[in-house]
Amino acid sequence: MRFTLIKDLKQDRAMRPIMSGLLIFILLYLLADFFVKYASIGLFSETLTHTLLGNADEFLDPITQASFLEHLHTETFFLMMILLTLSAVFMRLWHTTPFALILLNITMLSALLSLLALALSYYSSIGFINLYVVSYFTWHLGAIFMSISSLYRLYFD
Amino acid sequence: MTKVYKVSIFYFLLFTLALLATAIALFSLKIGFSKADVLHYYLGDAEHFIVAKTALGILKIILPHIFAFGLFMMVLLHFLVFTEYRNSKQLRYTIYTAYITVAAELFSPFFILAGIEFFAYVKIAAFFLMSFIQVYLSYLLFHSLMQKV
Repeated sequence: MRFTLIKDLKQDRAMRPIMSGLLIFILLYLLADFFVKYASIGLFSETLTHTLLGNADEFLDPITQASFLEHLHTETFFLMMILLTLSAVFMRLWHTTPFALILLNITMLSALLSLLALALSYYSSIGFINLYVVSYFTWHLGAIFMSISSLYRLYFD
Repeated sequence: MTKVYKVSIFYFLLFTLALLATAIALFSLKIGFSKADVLHYYLGDAEHFIVAKTALGILKIILPHIFAFGLFMMVLLHFLVFTEYRNSKQLRYTIYTAYITVAAELFSPFFILAGIEFFAYVKIAAFFLMSFIQVYLSYLLFHSLMQKV
């Protein structure tokens, strides 16, 4: 987090490419996550429902509670670390402008909501799966936008 | 603490609580909170078809946790350096207690495998103390965030 102490990141010849590398890797992570989720638990409500509840027609067993909790636990850890790092860079470059605060709050809240909605889909009602899908895509798109706008701010603004 | 980071830190605290909730649920489901539960989980239990863990098996489970805990504790604790608790004894003791507790939680299963059943209590106590420390640190940070708003 040393970058938080440097006065002007845009003018710093060493920190600018370092920050760019971090942002590009965060972007790659976010994009790769779509593929991994698509191939594992599913990206949309139908496949996610089959993963959580199983599907007798296709002889699919529902996910075990232990596997589900392990997924939720690791997901929470990665999500919090990525969003903390990304938001630190983003806020350092955009400061407390209304645009930055709105985008940050939407991304963070939807990320939290996605975890809650997934847990509710498993433990309470599968109806929450649509809320999970919406919040999952919202936080991903928010984080992608935060990364791209931070890169833009580093080089063009 | 710089104003621009307060929002990020506030959300980080919420995620911390979510992480703790899933950790407690996992511990409760997979291991259990009694001495017998812990011993059965690590040493095996024929009645409940639980296979005994090996040292390598435990190492594979704790490997990602060693790094994750180190990172997580560092992040959580270092935020307090930017608060009024910076030079307090309270923070210094909490830092040592946090890392020692995490180490006890992670490595106590090896002693259980070695036949020292007392470490089942260490495992449970370390888990509860670690959870308490996370909540306590989150409270201190939250309190500090709110004070300066």
